[in-house]
Amino acid sequence: MDTNSRPVVVKRMPERLNARTSREFLQDVQPFLITDRPQLVFDMSQVKQLDAAGVEMLLRCMSEAHKRDGDLKLAGISPDAAVVLELTRAERLFEIYETSTDAVRSFSGFLPNAMRQHLLHRKHSPAPAAA
Amino acid sequence: MDIRALVLVRTATEILEDSRPISPLPSALLEVVGKSPLQRTLDRLHRFGVQQVTVISDSILPSNPGDDRRDGTYLRSSREKFWRIAEAAFSDMAQEGAELVLLIALGGYAEVDFERLIQAHLDRQARVSQVFFENRPVEIFCISASRRNDAASLLRSRLARCRIEYPFFEHNGYFNPLNGGRDLRQFAIDILTLRTETPPSGVQVRPGVWMERGARLEKGARVLAPAFVGAFAKLRAHAVVTRCSSVEHHSQVDLGTVIENSTILPYCRIGAGLDVAHCVVGGEVLANLRRDVTVEIADSQLIGYAVTGTMERFVTSAAEFLSYLPKQAWRGVFGKTAPRQPDIQAALRQTSPVLGGAAGYEAPACDTGGAEKFSSSLAVVRRYGHQ
Repeated sequence: MDTNSRPVVVKRMPERLNARTSREFLQDVQPFLITDRPQLVFDMSQVKQLDAAGVEMLLRCMSEAHKRDGDLKLAGISPDAAVVLELTRAERLFEIYETSTDAVRSFSGFLPNAMRQHLLHRKHSPAPAAA
Repeated sequence: MDIRALVLVRTATEILEDSRPISPLPSALLEVVGKSPLQRTLDRLHRFGVQQVTVISDSILPSNPGDDRRDGTYLRSSREKFWRIAEAAFSDMAQEGAELVLLIALGGYAEVDFERLIQAHLDRQARVSQVFFENRPVEIFCISASRRNDAASLLRSRLARCRIEYPFFEHNGYFNPLNGGRDLRQFAIDILTLRTETPPSGVQVRPGVWMERGARLEKGARVLAPAFVGAFAKLRAHAVVTRCSSVEHHSQVDLGTVIENSTILPYCRIGAGLDVAHCVVGGEVLANLRRDVTVEIADSQLIGYAVTGTMERFVTSAAEFLSYLPKQAWRGVFGKTAPRQPDIQAALRQTSPVLGGAAGYEAPACDTGGAEKFSSSLAVVRRYGHQ
């Protein structure tokens, strides 16, 4: 999904997030994490089982995104996953949204006002007439 | 007057197919604040002068009620012939000369005034009397021992009906249905706040803090009243137990973990740097009462069973003991300055050490003032910094 100028990558997480699946998932998202100012949303609606390795992987991804001035947000967390995030004190480190759409929208929502006005103006202004 | 009691403990009816049970034991056998509802019921019966008690359970009884066995208390286990055995036990009591039998099915826990119940039963010249609480029947009966057929019809119908009409006895005291985690938690709160007749087990070491023998608190661990720490439970450095929490016997709470408004059932191990709030933890199962969800966590780094075997405990303790002096000597000769223990505030702010390389993220309390600026679709505000 493309909000403002940079794309937001939405990635659906697997049903089980243990040491093995976390490693595989990290390999999958690695290309997106090493881009400039990555904007990622992890859709956790299907996650039924989350363990310490899974939470560690989430924090690693968030840390990588922050290093490159980007951000990682979580969406649609299942109650089972929410319990583990709360248990490990990791839930307070993430922005968590009800749906991935809300999470994607939030990336444009926090732009400085001047920049948002500029983007809106550009979007609504008629295309310059051809000479 | 020869009054005896027949206590029934059932498992099968309690486990629903779509729900994960917190423990394989029935709630009547789960030890909460040091004693199970069964033990508390037995204590109360003995206090009321009922010495001859027969307990029938369809699950394996834990060791503690056995230790608590007094004269006249017999424990039998049977899964298939549960009701038939109950009927036979009633007949045995009648043959041995009992005049009244108190039949108590331990699904919930009720602190019935047995003296008043028996008096009301005798005054009404009833054959069978049943306890009612807030217009709902409780599975506690007073039965004249000579009325074996009435008792048989009651037991054959699994306490659903009797062949005769019988009067009710209104109970106004304490009652807890013990239907799952929420009731179990409420039961612990009620015991710790002394709303029940039976007090917490162990010694009150400070006002509102009860501890049983062998409970160990490492340096920096805090227990804030009202709270309970069971026998041989271990709270490691910087662990905090607060807000009516109970850590039952042989459980372990690791470094820097906070137990808040929660019950940790016996033989549980809680990993380091965790926040256990509004929960009931039984082995690998955690019931979060605020979210109303029961989760099975298959990660022993987070929650699991503590070392239970005597041999295993002995080997672990011996290894710790033998390695202590060489370790200290090594540190003294080759080590640099002793690592500083983080203060309790720092320990509580950081993410759990079980998260490996991602441990130690600072996560202080939420900036609630700033939260209003965010859109309503935001479910949780990130709580670090002051953004």
